Amino acid sequence: MMVGTVVGHVWATKKDPTLVGLRFLVVQPFTLEGSTAETIVAADPIGAGIGERVLVVFGRAARHVIGRGQDIGFQTAVSAIIDKMELEGGRTIGPTAGEDS
Amino acid sequence: MFLGRVVGEVWATRKAADLSGLRLLVVEALDERREPGAKKVTPVVAADPLGADVGEHVIVAFGKAARVATLGADGDFAFEAAIVGIVDDFDVPGAPEDWRMEDVTAWREARGGTSPESRVEGPAKPDAGRPRDRLT
Repeated sequence: MMVGTVVGHVWATKKDPTLVGLRFLVVQPFTLEGSTAETIVAADPIGAGIGERVLVVFGRAARHVIGRGQDIGFQTAVSAIIDKMELEGGRTIGPTAGEDS
Repeated sequence: MFLGRVVGEVWATRKAADLSGLRLLVVEALDERREPGAKKVTPVVAADPLGADVGEHVIVAFGKAARVATLGADGDFAFEAAIVGIVDDFDVPGAPEDWRMEDVTAWREARGGTSPESRVEGPAKPDAGRPRDRLT
């Protein structure tokens, strides 16, 4: 699992039939240093919006969260929308980047 | 699996139902700090069935191993990483200075936990008496 920020949406008409109707987000992984990491695409059965911090899961856990069984053509999904992340040194990460301290 | 250090905790209200009641900790892998200027890796969020604290070194497992260690069986659960061990000590010759463990003995005992010594189940370490702040 990892924490990331939703930075966009993706649409694709031509895709694996097991993915029809799924919502896809572009997620920027969170790093402790604030540097940018390579973005990933995640299916979103929860309904996160741009700017929100989310928890991303992989593999079997992701397919479980998507809820269409294990035989689908995807391996990344949003499993939670973060309320708060407390880091050492008193740093607090909020639900969006604007609410960090 | 990797060796990491707990750097934080995450809370979420809107989440997959089977994440309810799971403690989720943020773990930074130690080997990302091996080379100064190395590409930064995003920290892993891991389920914590053991009760690790921020600052402690832990072993993180993925996939089936993570689910079995957390819930006692594999199945369709919404997580794939878990803390499977709280590190008492390690010895990695040449490891960078910031791998060093904080001396967490005092606050482990203060919160009623076990001291590292009483957690040892394997054979005693040959150099158990050495100072904790030395890596090599």
